[in-house]
Amino acid sequence: MRRQMLISLLIVALLVAALGSVSAQEPIKVGLILPSSGNDLAWSQSMYEGLLAVQEAMGGESALQITYIEGMFDVTAATEAMRDFGDEGYDLVIAHGAQYGTSLFELAPEYPETSFAWGTASDTGADRGITNVFAYGARAQEGGYVNGVMAGLLTKSNIIGIVGPVPAGDAILYNNGFVQGVNASNPDAEVLITYTGSFGDTAAAASAAQAHIAAGADILTGSAQQVPGAVEAIQSAKGYWFATDTNQAEVWPDTVVAAQVYNWQPVIQAMLDARASGVKGGIAFQPTLGDGALQMAFNEALEGVPAEVFEAGRAAMARIMAKEVYPLGTLPEEQFRIAIVMPSSITDLAWSQAIFSALLELQQQLGGPEKLEIAYTEGMFDVTAAAQALRDYAEDGYDLVIAHGTQYGTSLFELAQDYPETAFAWGTASETAENIFAYEANAEQGGYVNGVMAGLLTKSNVIGIVGPVPAGDALLYINGFQQGIKASNPDAEILLTYTGSFSDTAAAAEAAQTQIAAGADVLSGSAQQVIGAIEAIQAAGGYWFGTQSDQSGAWPQTVVASQVFNWTPVLGRMVELVATGVYGGEAYSLTFANGGLKIVYGGVDIPAEVIDAANAAIEAIKSGEIVVLQQLPE
Amino acid sequence: MTDIVGVISEIVRLTLLFATPFLFASLGEVFAQRSGVLNLGVEGIMLMGAFFAIFVVSDKGLALSPWAGVLAALIVGGLMGLAMAFVSVTLQAQQGISGIGFTLFGQGMSSLLFKVLAGGVITVRGFQPITFPVLSGLPFFGTALFQHNILVYIAFALVPISVWVLNRTSFGLQVRAVGQNPAAADSVGVSVARVRYITVTLGGMMAGLAGASLSIAITNVFQENMTAGAGFIAVALVYFGAWSPWRVMGGALLFSAASILQNFVQIFNSLRGVTINIPPNLLIMVPYVLIIVVLIFARERKRVEPAALTKPFEREEG
Amino acid sequence: MSPMSSRPRLTRLLGGDPVAALAPLVAVLLALSVGAIILLALGKNPIEAYSAMINGAFGDDRSLFRTLTRATPLLLVAIGICVAFRGGMINIGAEGQLFIGAISATAFSLALSGRLPGGLLAILTLIVGAAAGAIWGAVPGILKARFDVNEILSTVMMNEIAIQLLIYLLSGPMIDPEQVKLGTRVPQSSALPEDVWLGRLAPPSQIHIGLFIALAMAVIVYALLWRTTIGYRIRAVGENRDAARYAGISVPRYLALSLILSGALAGLAGAVEVTGVTHRMVEGFAVGYGFSGIVVALFGRLHPIGAVPSAILFGALLVGADRMQRTVQVPSATIIALQGLVVVFVVSSEIWVRRRSARRQVSAAEAAPVARQEASA
Repeated sequence: MRRQMLISLLIVALLVAALGSVSAQEPIKVGLILPSSGNDLAWSQSMYEGLLAVQEAMGGESALQITYIEGMFDVTAATEAMRDFGDEGYDLVIAHGAQYGTSLFELAPEYPETSFAWGTASDTGADRGITNVFAYGARAQEGGYVNGVMAGLLTKSNIIGIVGPVPAGDAILYNNGFVQGVNASNPDAEVLITYTGSFGDTAAAASAAQAHIAAGADILTGSAQQVPGAVEAIQSAKGYWFATDTNQAEVWPDTVVAAQVYNWQPVIQAMLDARASGVKGGIAFQPTLGDGALQMAFNEALEGVPAEVFEAGRAAMARIMAKEVYPLGTLPEEQFRIAIVMPSSITDLAWSQAIFSALLELQQQLGGPEKLEIAYTEGMFDVTAAAQALRDYAEDGYDLVIAHGTQYGTSLFELAQDYPETAFAWGTASETAENIFAYEANAEQGGYVNGVMAGLLTKSNVIGIVGPVPAGDALLYINGFQQGIKASNPDAEILLTYTGSFSDTAAAAEAAQTQIAAGADVLSGSAQQVIGAIEAIQAAGGYWFGTQSDQSGAWPQTVVASQVFNWTPVLGRMVELVATGVYGGEAYSLTFANGGLKIVYGGVDIPAEVIDAANAAIEAIKSGEIVVLQQLPE
Repeated sequence: MTDIVGVISEIVRLTLLFATPFLFASLGEVFAQRSGVLNLGVEGIMLMGAFFAIFVVSDKGLALSPWAGVLAALIVGGLMGLAMAFVSVTLQAQQGISGIGFTLFGQGMSSLLFKVLAGGVITVRGFQPITFPVLSGLPFFGTALFQHNILVYIAFALVPISVWVLNRTSFGLQVRAVGQNPAAADSVGVSVARVRYITVTLGGMMAGLAGASLSIAITNVFQENMTAGAGFIAVALVYFGAWSPWRVMGGALLFSAASILQNFVQIFNSLRGVTINIPPNLLIMVPYVLIIVVLIFARERKRVEPAALTKPFEREEG
Repeated sequence: MSPMSSRPRLTRLLGGDPVAALAPLVAVLLALSVGAIILLALGKNPIEAYSAMINGAFGDDRSLFRTLTRATPLLLVAIGICVAFRGGMINIGAEGQLFIGAISATAFSLALSGRLPGGLLAILTLIVGAAAGAIWGAVPGILKARFDVNEILSTVMMNEIAIQLLIYLLSGPMIDPEQVKLGTRVPQSSALPEDVWLGRLAPPSQIHIGLFIALAMAVIVYALLWRTTIGYRIRAVGENRDAARYAGISVPRYLALSLILSGALAGLAGAVEVTGVTHRMVEGFAVGYGFSGIVVALFGRLHPIGAVPSAILFGALLVGADRMQRTVQVPSATIIALQGLVVVFVVSSEIWVRRRSARRQVSAAEAAPVARQEASA
C-alpha cells in the first residue's frame, strides 16, 4: 500500500514537473539497441546504466528521452529498429553491438540529421564520406591487466582460472590483458583458460568454474552474462573473483576483489556535446583506463585481501595510464621470436639499454622466454657486420627483426625484400615498407624540457653540450635542448662540442672538461659516450641532464633529470600487429603526448619552481602550445 | 594438478552434480513419452522452476528454506505440465508445436518475472553439500560420492524408483499401455486422458525440479535463460536412453562427464608448456558428438518406442 | 497428422469453411487478451501496445515490407520442415542447417569473389548454401536410415555442434581481418562481395528478391511432394512406414532424403538471409529462425503453400512485437512470453477446425460411400 502511494505521489510529482517544463525545449531523443537484456550484469547493462546516468545529469526525462529495445540478437530486427528511430527524428541512435555495423552504415546516410553510434568498433565510415556515425570500443585488456596483476599477487595456489564465453571480441581482449597482468606480477602463476561457447549458459559457467577449482584455482575471473554461475562457485570455495563490464562487487561483496567497469556516460555525453556543436559523427572513442569511461572499482572493504594488492592494482593502473605498460589486445599464438641488432651495449645507459629493458619487461608480461624469445647482437657499430647479423636473424625465422640504428637502414631495406614473411623495424626513422616498421623519438621535446631546467639552474650562465655526431636522435635532442635554454634563460651562453663518435668516452670526458674550464656548470649530452662527461661534471660539482635512459643510477647527486625513451608501447604494438599478420607499414614516434617520452628526476634537490617550469613546458608541448623545432633556423 | 586421484574424484563428483538437472527433466519426460506425449516445453518449464525456486529462497523474495523453493518449483512445473496436458490431451494440439510454445512462454515469463520482481541477478545460499560421517572423509570416494547436496541423491534415487513404477506397478502398466496402444487400453477401461494428464503433469513437476536443482543447488544464482538449451538436451537424452530410466541415466552421465572432461582438456591445454592448441569451440562440441556416436555403436538395444508417441487419442464415440 | 493435411487443396487451406478460418484468429485474440493482462500488470496500456504491434507489422508499405523480409527465411525453413515432417522425420535441426548454409555460402562467395562472373557467383553461392544445409541434414538423415538414431536427438545435437562450429570459424579462420587489425576481434566474417547481394526490391527497405525465391520454392516443393513419385514416396513413408515398405519403397532412403531436402531448404534460408539482409556472417545471425520455422510450418498445416500465409503471420508477429517493445517500452521478455501464448492458443484451436472438417468428411462419406471405401483401401 505504502509503495503504491509512493509511486502515485511520484507520478503526480513527475506530472507537475513535466507540466512546469512544457515551455522548455524539446528533449533530446536517444534510441538504444541492446543485444541482450538491459540487466545482464554485463555488456548491455553497462550501456543502459551509462545512458541513465547521462539522463540524470541532464535533468531527467524532460531533457533526455531514452527509448531502448533489448534482446536484439537478430540483426534484421535491429536494423528495423534503427530505421524507426531515424524516421522518428531521434537525435542519437546507439547500436550497442559490433554485429549491427554493416546495416548501420547502409542506413546512416539516409538519416543525416540523426547521429548513430556503435561499438565495439573504431570505424566511423569517415573515409567513405559518412559523417554521422560515432564508434566506440574500450581497451578491455587494460582493466584485464590490472585485475591480473592483483590476482597474481593474491593467489596462494598459484593457479588462476578464466571462465570465458567465446574466444572473441571483448572477452578475448580482457582475457589477454589479464594473463599479461598475472605474468607481470607473478611469473610462477599458471593461468588456466576455458570457454563455455555461450554467453548466457550460467550452468556451463558454473561447471567450468568448478573444474578450475578442482584443478587448484583459488582465484577466478571471466566475462559475459553467464558469470554469476562462476562467481557463486568460487564464492562457495572461499576464493576470489575479478570482474569486468560492471561492478559485480555490488552483488558479491565478499568475493569480488576488483572490477573493470565500463562507464559509457562520458562517451555518450561527448557524443551529445559534439552534436550540440554541430558535429554529428566521425569520432571514434576508444576509452582507455582511467579516462573516465573505463574505470577500476577496487573493493577495499573486502576482508583477507592485503592492502599491497590494492596498491599494486593502483600502481599498475597508473603505469598503464602513463603508457609505461602496454597490455596487448592480441597475443601471439605460438612463441614469438624477436631479434635485435644494436650499435652499443645493452648496458650503455642510453640508446640500446632503453629499448632492451623495454624488451625484457615485455618478455615477462607475455609469460617469459617460452612465449617471447629475445636474441640480440650488441656493439654493432660496423654497418656491414650488422647487416649480416640482420640477415642471419631473418634466415633463422625470427618473427620480428629490429635494426636499432638509423645507419642500418639501407641494408635493411635490401634484405627485407628477401624475407617478405618476416617483420622488420628500424629507428630512428620514419620510412616504412610493406614489412618494415619505423620508429623515432621526438628527442627535441625532452631536450627542450631539460634545456628549460638547465637555463634556470645555471649560476655561471654557461651551459655545455657534449654531442656525438650532428645527426639523428642526438641532433634532435641537442637542438631541443638549446631552444629550451633560450626560452628560460636567453642570456645563457651555450657551448657545443661534437666528439665525432658515439662511444669514445675519453673524448667525451675531454670535451666536458674543456667546457667546464670555459665556465660551464651544467652539462648535457647524448649517446653512450656521455658517462665520461658525467664523471667530469660530477668531479666539478655541476649538474647533468641526460637523455635516452635514466642516467641517475650511478650519479644521483649529479643527474638532475633524464629524458627517458619509453619503447614499451611501440614494441607491444609491433608484436600485436605481427601476431595479427601485419608485418610493417606503421611509423611511430615517441612524444610527451603519447607517453613515449618521460622526464625522470635524479636525486638532486632542485627548487620547486624549476620543476614547475619543466611541468609547464611538458604540458605546453603536449597541447601543442609550444612546438619544438627539430632543426634550428640558420 | 599433480594430485591425479584428486582430480579424477573431482571429475566424478562434478559429473554426478551436473547430471542432476538432466536426470530430473529426462526422467519426467520418460513418463510423458511412455504414455504417448512428447513434451518439448521442458526448457521453458525448467526456467520457470528455476526462477520460482530461487525467488522463494532468496532474500529478495520470500526468504524461505530451500525445501520451500523445491515445493514452488514442483507446483509451478506441475501447473505448466497440467496446461501442457490440457493442450495436448484434451485439445489434441500438435505436441511438437505446443511444446515450443510452452518453451517460449517459459523463457519469456521467467525473464519477465525476474526483471520485475528481482530487478537483477539473484543469489542464494541453496542446498549445501551433505557431510556424511566417515564416508565423506574417504579418499577418492569421499569427494566423488559423499559430498553432494540432497537433490543429487534424490535424482539418482528416482532412477530405480521410476523403473519400479513403470515396470512393476499397475500405474506403470497403464502408462505403457496408453503409450503403446491407447485404443486397446481404452477398451479395457483405462482412461487414456487421465493417465496422460498424470504423466505430463508429473513430467512438468520433474522439469520444474530440474530447474530448481540448477538455481538453488548447483549454481545458486538465477540469470535470464540460464538453462541455455538444457531442456532440449534432456528431451534428446530420453531418445538416447530409449525410454529406459537406466539408459537415460547412462546418457545423462555420459553427457555430463564429457562436458566436464572437455573443461579439463581446455584447462590442460592452457597449462604452461603445453603446446597443443585445440580451439575451445571444437572441444565444446565433443559431448554432443559423443552422444550421437555412442548411439551408433549401441545399436542392438531393444526398441520400446511408444507406438502412440505424439499421436493424440480420441475415443471413438459409440 | 490431421485428416485434412493429407488431402491438401488450395481452396481448402485458404477458406471455404469460415469456422476453420476464424478459429486461429479467435485463438490469437484470446492469447492477446491474456497478454493484455500481463501488460496491464506491467502498467502498460494494452490497446496502445497492440495498435503499435499492428501498425508495426502492417501499418504502411514499409511495415509490410519488413514483415515480408522477416517472413522470407521463415518461409524457406518452414517449407523444409514440411518436407521432413511429411516424410515422418521430426527435424528440430533447421537452426543448425540454416547456420551451416549461411556460413558455407559466406565462405564460398568470399573465396571465389572476383574469380567468377558476378551472376554465376551469386547463383552458386545460394546453391552452396543449400548444399551445405543438405549435408548437415544428411547426417541425422543417414544416421536415422542406417543406424536408426532418433532424429530429434541427433538434430538437437547437430544444432549445438553447428553453433560451436560457427563461433570457431567466425572467431578464427573466417574472422574479418579488419577486426583483427583493429584489435576489436568481434566474431564476424568479412562483408560479402556485392556481386552476391540479392537485389533489394524497394530500397531503403531491406526487402529483397529472396522473397520470390522463397515463394518459388513453396510452389516447387508443393509440386515435388504432390506431383512426383519421389514426393509420393516421401509422404507414403511419412504416413505409414510399414505400408510403404510393403509397397516396395525403400524406407531408409526416403527417410534420409526428406531430411536432406529439409536441410537444403534451411541452408538456402541461411544463404538467402546472409546475401539478402546482413551481407556478412555475424555471431548471433538469424538466431531462432530454425525454431520459429517449425512453428510456421505447423501453423501452415505442413503444407508448403499453407506455409506462405503462416510465415507472413509469424513475420508480422515478430516485427510487430519489436515495434511494441519500442513504443510502450516493455521488457523483451514480455514479447517472448506473448509469442509463446499465441503459439499455444493457436495450436490448441485447431481441434475445432479438425472436428468440423471431420464432420464434413463424415457427411461426405455418407453421401458417397464408394469413394470413402476407395480412399481407405
